[in-house]
Amino acid sequence: MDVSQMQGQLIDYTASLFREGFLDDQFTQLQQLQDESNPDFVFEVVSLFFEDSERLLNDLGRALTQQIVDFKKVDAHVHQLKGSSSSIGAQRVKNACVAFRNFCEEQNTEGCLRCLQQVKQEYFLVKNKLESLFRLEQQILAAGGSIPMVE
Amino acid sequence: MLPTSSSSSSSSVLLQVPALQLKVSEKSMAENTERAPSVSFGVSPTQNRPTGFCLRRFCNQLCGCLSKESKNLPPCRKHIQKGEVQEDEFPYPSAQCLSSYYSVFVARLAIMVMLAILIGMLTILTWHFTTVYTTKSINSLAYDLRFELLQRPILRMWNILNSTAEITNAQVKLSEYVIRRYDKTVTQPQQIEMYEVMRNVTWALFASRKALNAITISYRNGFVQAFHRDHRSNNTFYIYSDLVNASITGTHMLNDLSTDHGWNDPSANGNISAIWYREPLDPVTGESTGRPRTIPPDDLINIAGLSEVPDGVASWHVAVSKFIDSPLLSAALPVWDSSNKSIVAVVGVTTALYSVGQLMRELVEFHSGYMYLTSQEGYLLATSTNAPLLRNSTTGPELMMAVDSEDHVIRLGAEWLQSTYGNKFYPNQEVHVENVKLGHQKYYIDSFFLKLKRLPMVGVIIIPRRYIMGKVDERAFKTLVTLISASVCILVVGCLCILILTNGVSKEMKLRAELISHLDARRRAEASSNYKSQFLANMSHELRTPMAAVIGLLDILICDDCLTNEQYTTVTQIRKCSNALLGLLNNILDLSKVESGKLVLEEAEFDLGRELEGLVDMFSVQRINHNVETVLDLSDDMPKVVQGDSARVVQIFTNLISNSIKFTSSGHIILRGWCERPNTFSDTMKLPLDQKESSSALKTKLKQHGNHEMRTSKKDNRIVLWFEVDDTGCGIDPSKWESVFESFEQADPSTTRTYGGTGLGLCIVRTLVNKMGGEIKVVKKNNPGTLMQLYLVLSTPVDGTRQQCSIDFSRHGLMVLLALNANMGRVIMSQWLRKNRVHTWEASEWNELTQIIREVFQASSTTPRNGFMTQCSTSETLRYEELKTHHVRSSSIIIVVDVGLLDLSTDIWKEQIKFLDKYHGKAKFAWVLNHDTSNAVKMELQRKGHLMMVKPLYKAKMVHILEAVIKERAFELQQESPNASRAPQGDLHECLEIDPIHFDVASSDDSDTFETGSFNSRRGVLQIGETSREEIITQDHKNLNNRLSEFSQNYSKNKNIENPRQIWQTSCDIEDSTCTSTYNRKASGLPELEVENSRWSGQNHRDSTKAIDGQKSLKGLCILLAEDTPVLQRVATIMLQKMGASVVAVGDGQQAVDALKCKLDAEKYRSSESPFWDGNTRFQTLLQECPLFDLILMDCQMPKMDGYEATKAIRNYEAGTGSHIPIVALTAHAMSSDEAKCLEVGMDAYLTKPIDCKLMISTILSLTKRMA
Repeated sequence: MDVSQMQGQLIDYTASLFREGFLDDQFTQLQQLQDESNPDFVFEVVSLFFEDSERLLNDLGRALTQQIVDFKKVDAHVHQLKGSSSSIGAQRVKNACVAFRNFCEEQNTEGCLRCLQQVKQEYFLVKNKLESLFRLEQQILAAGGSIPMVE
Repeated sequence: MLPTSSSSSSSSVLLQVPALQLKVSEKSMAENTERAPSVSFGVSPTQNRPTGFCLRRFCNQLCGCLSKESKNLPPCRKHIQKGEVQEDEFPYPSAQCLSSYYSVFVARLAIMVMLAILIGMLTILTWHFTTVYTTKSINSLAYDLRFELLQRPILRMWNILNSTAEITNAQVKLSEYVIRRYDKTVTQPQQIEMYEVMRNVTWALFASRKALNAITISYRNGFVQAFHRDHRSNNTFYIYSDLVNASITGTHMLNDLSTDHGWNDPSANGNISAIWYREPLDPVTGESTGRPRTIPPDDLINIAGLSEVPDGVASWHVAVSKFIDSPLLSAALPVWDSSNKSIVAVVGVTTALYSVGQLMRELVEFHSGYMYLTSQEGYLLATSTNAPLLRNSTTGPELMMAVDSEDHVIRLGAEWLQSTYGNKFYPNQEVHVENVKLGHQKYYIDSFFLKLKRLPMVGVIIIPRRYIMGKVDERAFKTLVTLISASVCILVVGCLCILILTNGVSKEMKLRAELISHLDARRRAEASSNYKSQFLANMSHELRTPMAAVIGLLDILICDDCLTNEQYTTVTQIRKCSNALLGLLNNILDLSKVESGKLVLEEAEFDLGRELEGLVDMFSVQRINHNVETVLDLSDDMPKVVQGDSARVVQIFTNLISNSIKFTSSGHIILRGWCERPNTFSDTMKLPLDQKESSSALKTKLKQHGNHEMRTSKKDNRIVLWFEVDDTGCGIDPSKWESVFESFEQADPSTTRTYGGTGLGLCIVRTLVNKMGGEIKVVKKNNPGTLMQLYLVLSTPVDGTRQQCSIDFSRHGLMVLLALNANMGRVIMSQWLRKNRVHTWEASEWNELTQIIREVFQASSTTPRNGFMTQCSTSETLRYEELKTHHVRSSSIIIVVDVGLLDLSTDIWKEQIKFLDKYHGKAKFAWVLNHDTSNAVKMELQRKGHLMMVKPLYKAKMVHILEAVIKERAFELQQESPNASRAPQGDLHECLEIDPIHFDVASSDDSDTFETGSFNSRRGVLQIGETSREEIITQDHKNLNNRLSEFSQNYSKNKNIENPRQIWQTSCDIEDSTCTSTYNRKASGLPELEVENSRWSGQNHRDSTKAIDGQKSLKGLCILLAEDTPVLQRVATIMLQKMGASVVAVGDGQQAVDALKCKLDAEKYRSSESPFWDGNTRFQTLLQECPLFDLILMDCQMPKMDGYEATKAIRNYEAGTGSHIPIVALTAHAMSSDEAKCLEVGMDAYLTKPIDCKLMISTILSLTKRMA
């Protein structure tokens, strides 16, 4: 697979991510922040996001299975998740979080559990997507090409 | 009799009462009877009694009053009373009203009752005092009268009795004497002689007493001698018995008498046989007038015989005779012989009681009434009437009892007496009875007991009460009737008065109740209006927050790179509309704020002149499309710094000017301002300020003595500032001059369609002006257009040194050529310059300019020409002449050229500039640019090294030009620069920034008005929005971005520092050490300028904004980032680092606080290692790297300690130190309440997640620069 092809693929793939709403502007901003001084900035941040999110999702799962659900805590977790997801531009996760928080406010355990599933699903989706994106980038880099900027 | 007819009696009685009253009373009576049909007029026992009638009438009246009252009562009662339906006259809205009405009714009734009682008492008392006393006194008089009346007949009786007794006694004495003389004679002739003597003696006595009826002497022998007087026939008779017969027996009888003393009435036997003769006598002489005739014995008179004096003492009795109808009083007395042992004769005297009756009749004739005398047994002796006293019975006439009297009254009286007191009268019993009813009348009955030994008598007098009391009674009755009628009248009138008065009162009460209800309604209406204002305020406030969000978001959207051109335009349009909407909301909010009294004007010092200049700058941008010039004409005595609410002051003028602009299609808008001392306040009010000439005259006058007045007014630092906004628009109809200041009011409703607007602007202006202690009004003006005049009372700072035009331009011998095509501005400017003794020329178009330039420079080399003289004021001719002589040496000519004079449509302008450039060395050029002046022109001028500034040209700008020129000259002289060719104007190349505030105001180019001040004063989100807007708008007006130089005011420097890009030197800095650097820069030539220029334009270019802006704009800043989410922390850190800032990131609020404390402590104990540092090894290195934090970015939601708490802690920590580190909140909440909360705890600004890079930077910059 030659580099230009891979580059095209990457652009297409990124565009599809944006189109399908997995990512938003914020991700672009992140990409823009990446430069020579921080060559792996996006990857770094996204990794951070993954770590953080997994921790939060575990916490959420635990918190929601408790006998007495501490909605405040749940809400704080979701809020955090929402913040970090919006920071990397994981739009769908963020949206799911918004719905989640509504249920938290209503103290609806069932709804929360449903939302947690949804958030998890979205999270894994975006995680997969991003991981494949990074893989693609790695391949390009490995092939000696540069990562093209979208737009 | 008493009057029975009511009406006649009342009317007759009421004659004393004024006729009107009478009428009124009659009318009211009539009314009353009509009004009170329930009062029965049926037969009543008192109907014919006037008093009863009066009472009933009073009753009627009361009923009438009541019924009248009841008219005002609730209908039910009225219906009962009247029996007919009447409509309610006054509908009563509330029970309170009704109760008050009842109270009025009760009060009315009470007053009436009191009046009635009062009048009644008065009436009774009056009647009592007038009548009773009189009655009493009359009664006592009447008693006397009665007594007197009775006394007199009794006295008469007494007299009669006395005289009878006397006569009898005299007769007895005479008889005794005569008989004793003839005692021894027994012979016939002697006896006859004796009888003859007796007859003569008796006659003498009889004749002497006319009242006597008869005197009789009956001798013992049966001889009778008698004289009788018939009063009716007036005849006098002598009656005697047969003498012969008598003499024989007489002697015998005498003997008998003398012997055995027992004389058993022999005469009766003897007399029967005797022959009686009657001989008529002449009543006067006693001569016999006729033959004696025989008459039957005892026929005529009673002859007192021996039987009547059985015990030898005098006896009295009342006798009757058949010849006279009155009773006779007869007395009998015996005549004793000389030895006093036997009775020789009996003398009887008879007196008729006729005269007593006569007297009584006479008395009664005078006094009316009845009198009678009765014996103790009740036999009538005399009466005052003609009724017969005697009764013919079978046994002859006999005395009548009083009870049998034929006279009606006497009989009744006697019967009454008899029934009351019985038959017996006790001695001394007197009866005085009043008001005895006999028949139908009342009488006084008085009786006296006359105590005579033999003949006790009772006198009775009956006098009708009417005789004595009749008049009094009548009078009393009349008085009573009069009084009652008068009282009734007064009562009626009084009641009417009360009714009328209380009607007034009740009407007043009704009105008052109405008023109260109206007030209540008004209060409610006001309250609801207040609610409305409140609602509007709340609404607009609530609307504004989302609007701000919308605008902010739009700004973000506009900044977005991925928009197509079409979208970009649309978004820009939306942004404009949003701005308009926000402006409207702000207006409403302001208005309702003012209306609800919540507007508090802040007191802060501000530079009025600068604010107004900024305003004019802004509007000159707005109206650039119109053919209108905006002129600012502030007098020199205006204080530079005043205290007040600058935003509101600016708002006033913004509204006024934008209003003017809206309605002015061509001409000019002048904002004049001058200062007014409070003491000359009244003078100026009178002056016709609408006329420009006079107002400018006034100004000069004011200015003339402005200098010394300034000092006087320093103590009381309140000053009155007058302003005029004068436009040449369509004007306002004089009838609307007041109403234009009402809310939602426009002079002409049709203008709404043409010009739009809500009509709130002027209303806000007026309320604000009033709030500042001023007034605004529309003033008459000769020319078309509107002249708004207002004054504000503002205070000047106490220590405020009044900065006048500090430089005396006249010293420097400056000459200015004003080549401006804006007429008004030019005229005003030249006036001002001349006042400051700067010589001016004026030119309004290119040809004129060139002509003047030529003339001036020719004149400068040769002689002055008359041509300029026309341009100078004559007063300055001398001065001018003086100048001319040495102006080459000491004066410099400044030529101010409007770029509009150049012909920009073609390329001729280049030629024109070249032409002017010829005079470059001789004169300084200052160019007045339009906002839309093309870049090429600017570049060209820039290259030529000319001064440039943007329209409009106002005083401060002019001062700058002048000052720059003066300084330059001074510098020139000082430096004695060898490089003569290097133009001194080069150092003026330094571009000056337009005041950002002005600019951003100017850029809000919507047709609607915005009070820009309010924008500036908003905090938080708005502030941020503002800043970003500023940038956007700079993009909007790309033409503006290209401006290279602009004179900014000296004083703007301080404020401008907050603008990040305002790190430019002002022209003033030239003098200082910077001179060299600028020279260096100059030496490096144009390229550097070009670079800068391009950088500017590049920076403002939309596509490359980010790249350039992002270029290390935060260099040198140290920022503490408190963020718990690692992702965000990382992102933000990188963002900030990319901008050149050094970042210290912490995970929660507590760490942030600790880090800050460490920093500050480290500052304090720089030399020694702080113990805090050991515990915080994680940050140690970081902290050591950074100097003090310039700013903190604080996430709001963090574990351990959230952003709010942390901020509070930091602020508390700072409290004593006086430092203030800016804290920017980072929150995902994006709610206005969060914003409020953030600001409340002491944060300075507020950013929402996800972080917008540009927003963040601008916020950080604005905060850090402000702090610097």
